[in-house]
Amino acid sequence: MPMFLEPLMGAALQVWKLAIVVIPLMAVLELSREYGLLNYFVKLTRPLTKLFKIQDESAFPLLVGLTFGLAFGAGVIIQSAHEGALNRRSLLLVTIFLACCHAVVEDTLIFAQVGANGWFLLSLRVVFALSTTLILSRILPQRAYDIAVRGDLNEAHCH
Amino acid sequence: MNRFLKATTKGLKQGLKTTWMLAKIIVPVYIGVWILQRTVIIEWVNLLFEPLMQYFGLPGEASIVLVLGNLVNIYAALGAMAAFKLTAVQITVLSVMLSFSHTLLIETAVTKKIGVSALLVVLTRLGLSGLCGLLTTILLN
Repeated sequence: MPMFLEPLMGAALQVWKLAIVVIPLMAVLELSREYGLLNYFVKLTRPLTKLFKIQDESAFPLLVGLTFGLAFGAGVIIQSAHEGALNRRSLLLVTIFLACCHAVVEDTLIFAQVGANGWFLLSLRVVFALSTTLILSRILPQRAYDIAVRGDLNEAHCH
Repeated sequence: MNRFLKATTKGLKQGLKTTWMLAKIIVPVYIGVWILQRTVIIEWVNLLFEPLMQYFGLPGEASIVLVLGNLVNIYAALGAMAAFKLTAVQITVLSVMLSFSHTLLIETAVTKKIGVSALLVVLTRLGLSGLCGLLTTILLN
């Protein structure tokens, strides 16, 4: 094999490994979007809102972010905030949690595919994102939410 | 049924598009790192980052994977990761670290759009990345 083929083959193998995970996954995600499957699972993230002591309305953005990723999650968060449904406390804690823990199906499968221990990775990520958000939810004073969250998203609607 | 087929096709197309996007990142990164490994620069990188990376049970050169993952995206990191010879534990350590913090420039812009302090988000992510990286190194070795 000529030497220049070596890196091409290595790169192609890595692309192939990811393609066989990403392509079927995208089909599954699109199907669950089409049929609104997430609406049936929103009770799964309800306990999180109780745990973090945030509004019930946070359950859906949490679920969307966990499954579809940060960009989709943020889209739902911004929409809820515009409708005045989320206060600063919910906005901050949901965003912190999702920034650390989003698109968990895709990320876990991809990393497992290249040789990581997927179960270990997923458990550690969920447990630490959860406990960090929980700790912040208990120690941050109200003033911190006013400083760390720009309020224009929901305040625009309060007036 | 038609709706089912339509959604499946749309999803598969999206998957192909993503594959094309990640190929355009992985191929040049892999080749770049492959070439880099054949120069003296990789030795400098190793020397420079060895003192820090050793805490994570990683060679100094693995810092390239973390930098690419945080500044570009996970796919760029995976392109570099494939070019290095790493053990299963080392791959898991890097994956744990990257799963907490990656694509920081773009994702922080997203969280800023929500109105949340970028500094708080980035510090939390990097903190968890380091902490859980260390923990994984200890637990799996």
